[in-house]
Amino acid sequence: MTAQRDRTATLRGAPGPTAVAHGAAGATPLRRAASMVGGHMPLGRAGKIALTFAIVSGLLTHGYHLFQYPLYNTDEGIYIERAWALIREDRLSPQTYFYDHAPGGWIILAGWEMLLPGHFEAFGNPVNSGRVLMLIMHAVSVFLLFEIARKLSGGRLVAPVLATLLFNFSPLAIYYQRMILLDNMTVFWALLSIYLLLRRECRLFTGLWSGLAFGIAVITKENAIFFAPTIFYLLSRQTRGDPSRNFAMMLWLFASSTPVLAYFVYATLKGELLPPKLDFSLTHQPQGHVSLLYELWYQIHRNQGTLFTHGSYLYTTWLPKDRFLLAFGTLAILISLWLGWRDKERNLGLLVAGTLGFEIAFYLARGSVILDFYVIPLIPMLALNIGVVADRLVQRSTAHSARLALAAAATCLGALLLLPSGGYLIAHGEQHQLKLADVYYLPLTYLQREQIAWIRAHIPPHDRIIMDDDIWVALHDIRPYYPYAQSHWNAASDPRIRNKMFGANWRNINYIVLSTGMKHAMQLNNTGGQENWILNALNYHSTEVWHAGRGKIQVAIYRVQ
Amino acid sequence: MAVDLVCAVLVLVSILVTLQAGHALYLTLYSWDRPASEASAPDEFSEPGLSFTVMLPARHEESVIQTTMSRVAGANYPAHLIQVLVICAEDDVGTINEAEEKIEELRKAGRHNVSLVVFRDGPVTKPHGLNCGLPHATHDVVTIFDAEDDPHPDIFNVVNTVMQNEKVNVVQAGVQLMNYDSTWYSPLNVLEYFFWFKSRLHYHARLGAIPLGGNTVFFERDLISRVGGWDERNLTEDADIGLRLSAAGERIRVVYDDRYVTKEETPPTLAQFIRQRTRWSQGFLQTLHKGVWRELPTRRQRWLAFYTLAFPQAQALLAIYIPFSLITMVAIKTPEQVALISCLPLAMLLAHFLTSVIGLYEFTGAHGLKASPSAVLRMAVAWFPYQIVLSYAALRAVRRQARGVSNWEKTQHVGAHRTLAREAIVGQANDRAA
Repeated sequence: MTAQRDRTATLRGAPGPTAVAHGAAGATPLRRAASMVGGHMPLGRAGKIALTFAIVSGLLTHGYHLFQYPLYNTDEGIYIERAWALIREDRLSPQTYFYDHAPGGWIILAGWEMLLPGHFEAFGNPVNSGRVLMLIMHAVSVFLLFEIARKLSGGRLVAPVLATLLFNFSPLAIYYQRMILLDNMTVFWALLSIYLLLRRECRLFTGLWSGLAFGIAVITKENAIFFAPTIFYLLSRQTRGDPSRNFAMMLWLFASSTPVLAYFVYATLKGELLPPKLDFSLTHQPQGHVSLLYELWYQIHRNQGTLFTHGSYLYTTWLPKDRFLLAFGTLAILISLWLGWRDKERNLGLLVAGTLGFEIAFYLARGSVILDFYVIPLIPMLALNIGVVADRLVQRSTAHSARLALAAAATCLGALLLLPSGGYLIAHGEQHQLKLADVYYLPLTYLQREQIAWIRAHIPPHDRIIMDDDIWVALHDIRPYYPYAQSHWNAASDPRIRNKMFGANWRNINYIVLSTGMKHAMQLNNTGGQENWILNALNYHSTEVWHAGRGKIQVAIYRVQ
Repeated sequence: MAVDLVCAVLVLVSILVTLQAGHALYLTLYSWDRPASEASAPDEFSEPGLSFTVMLPARHEESVIQTTMSRVAGANYPAHLIQVLVICAEDDVGTINEAEEKIEELRKAGRHNVSLVVFRDGPVTKPHGLNCGLPHATHDVVTIFDAEDDPHPDIFNVVNTVMQNEKVNVVQAGVQLMNYDSTWYSPLNVLEYFFWFKSRLHYHARLGAIPLGGNTVFFERDLISRVGGWDERNLTEDADIGLRLSAAGERIRVVYDDRYVTKEETPPTLAQFIRQRTRWSQGFLQTLHKGVWRELPTRRQRWLAFYTLAFPQAQALLAIYIPFSLITMVAIKTPEQVALISCLPLAMLLAHFLTSVIGLYEFTGAHGLKASPSAVLRMAVAWFPYQIVLSYAALRAVRRQARGVSNWEKTQHVGAHRTLAREAIVGQANDRAA
């Protein structure tokens, strides 16, 4: 018996080379507890109430007035028409698909439309059905953001409550998050990917699902790739000391790259991976067929000045909609980065939040082409950083000052929500009268519905119409169809539409249906003269036959003679 | 119309293969997704309480039997609690002579717990040998080692502790092929064992439908008698008895701990490898047709057993499908969506390969060996031929079964794992010295 005891003692005290590995595995929980975030953090009663409030308020702020405001956007129209093409024509686009974006977003949108009774017309205008999907995705994103903020801040409720409050009530957020935009969908997938890594048990296959979610995020909107360093770093920290670490990382990489690879394989199968004659010249479009790699090359080289130049969306659109979120969020990102970088072991939550914010801010600020809704992925990251930094301030304070700080923060938030200068719920009208913020009050989409109604009442279905994408599906999915109603974007640049349908001649146009800002967009899109024949028709050979407007929003219809 | 039909077949098979490959990947990595404590051996041993009868069935194993007998007899466990039975057929004079010589040598050294059982009747198969040895077994627990096995000296302490602490009557401990760089196919063969014993068997055990391994498996002695011993006509009597025990509701514990695995070698030649794999595939088919799996209590258990036993047939079908898919690739222009779906199995193939690469590093790291990038490269080159060999062996098994041929094709053993083990020990010593 003594010999047995001695052997046991040897095993425990002086393990051999293979036993060392087991010793490390045995110590895993301690090491992981010190270096990881998330894990088992019961929500509790207060947490459940806060989470319920966050989701319900998100549904209310985004759902109320959803079909009236904002105006149906060109990009919303494009994605809904591509979903339409998937369902009705088994193609990625009703026109030539030129790899401007990976198709993950409208594949999901098409799946949603398939589920709906009545498909695109389930909620009236076809764009509405997509907006309902955005609403559902927002509600789930609220849950994900709440849980991410809670887990990154050690299970406390200050960060998730604050983050989701801003995410739900910011007028900047509501304005863009209501729209059918790839960015909204990619935010959902990116948040899901992060959330999965912070779950109660970060098990091996959680890495797989997280990777898959991230891969879908990338093929929904390519800018999600900017989140990759932080998400992979988070995975690495969450599996540190875990025997399954190598497999988890492999599975994450495999799952995240599979959807992207599938996209490339698709292009290869179509013979559209490389441009004809390997011509990557940026001076002219590839001749013969479209090309995925050419399009990527082209996008990388697009430049529109920086975000901080005069007249950029930062000054003209984003700051006027929500100065508070942008200013305090940027400050919070800097604080998170500073604290997180100083002590990566203890401040992992801050480091993760800070780098996520930094990555997407870098994407916006690096000097490529920026559209106004590109701000969407930044919004949850700004809110998250404000949340986790506020939580850190409360934690650093004494109990008494923490109570004071919380009271002050609640007052500020209340003021932000209720004072017209914040513009969250109440705003000043044109005569400085108090009114509900535009997002809850201003009806706009009725203009587009009236426009469609006029077309259906006065224009024969086989007339050739140049218009914007916002009403495309409404004219192609409801009888009588308007098969020759095409957007000016495609009429200008898609040879199939421009040459075969219109012969690139203004005489072949019967009507021009103008959305607000469409004429300006045509002028901007005319650097190569491709819109000349349409502008010629509009400027010199047409008569306005219908017009409607509200404030600066003006829509019209012109008959071309 | 014909093209549509081909497309439909392509899509259907691609989806099925992808689902199967996904499930196989899940099983391959199952134990890494579970808490480590579920699979590992105890860190502290209980006092020796159980006694063990070790059955060593051997046929034409002159070159390795003596070393194995020494290792088993010299295990870190009280000698009076171990009984070793070397089991040979009467005509195997070479092995009998080697065994008798070793028994004499051990007796002179004071070890009287090793004896020889010689059987004269047929069939000359491993399960028949085991049934012949069973009446001579006198200890609490019966275990089997193959003639070329290198069991760990503490394996009896491990099993004694598990059986006593967890009140289980059957324990399957880990078996591991070691010579991962002997032949072009050996790294893949080694990894099959690695993932099977370290991961997949735990899933089977949890569901209660487990095809046991052929050695390092421990049974409470009377249990074997109660289920009627081993099926002497079955080429995978181990899988068969495992399923019979599962059907009887017996809880089976799987212990895989890199420290305590029984070390074995890959077959030395491709022909030997194909024969071994044919025997296993045919044995699974026999067990499938025998229908024990139908007696499992739940539908999930029955499905798992069926899926496992029928897999060689699926593999044979895949062998037939490969030329079909190659022809369609060249001869038929399919829509992009169909082509994309038919690429899904390739993605799963990549996942399996990456898993194997990580597995190779895990395996070598756990056993004090070193994998090199060139080993990974060799594995990549060998990957597809290896699948073809497996499919060929499966086809061969189906053909043998259809023709009623079921003789035991013995695998030759040369002790390559022992050379490797010595090298690993020397390597570790050098590392420490450096």
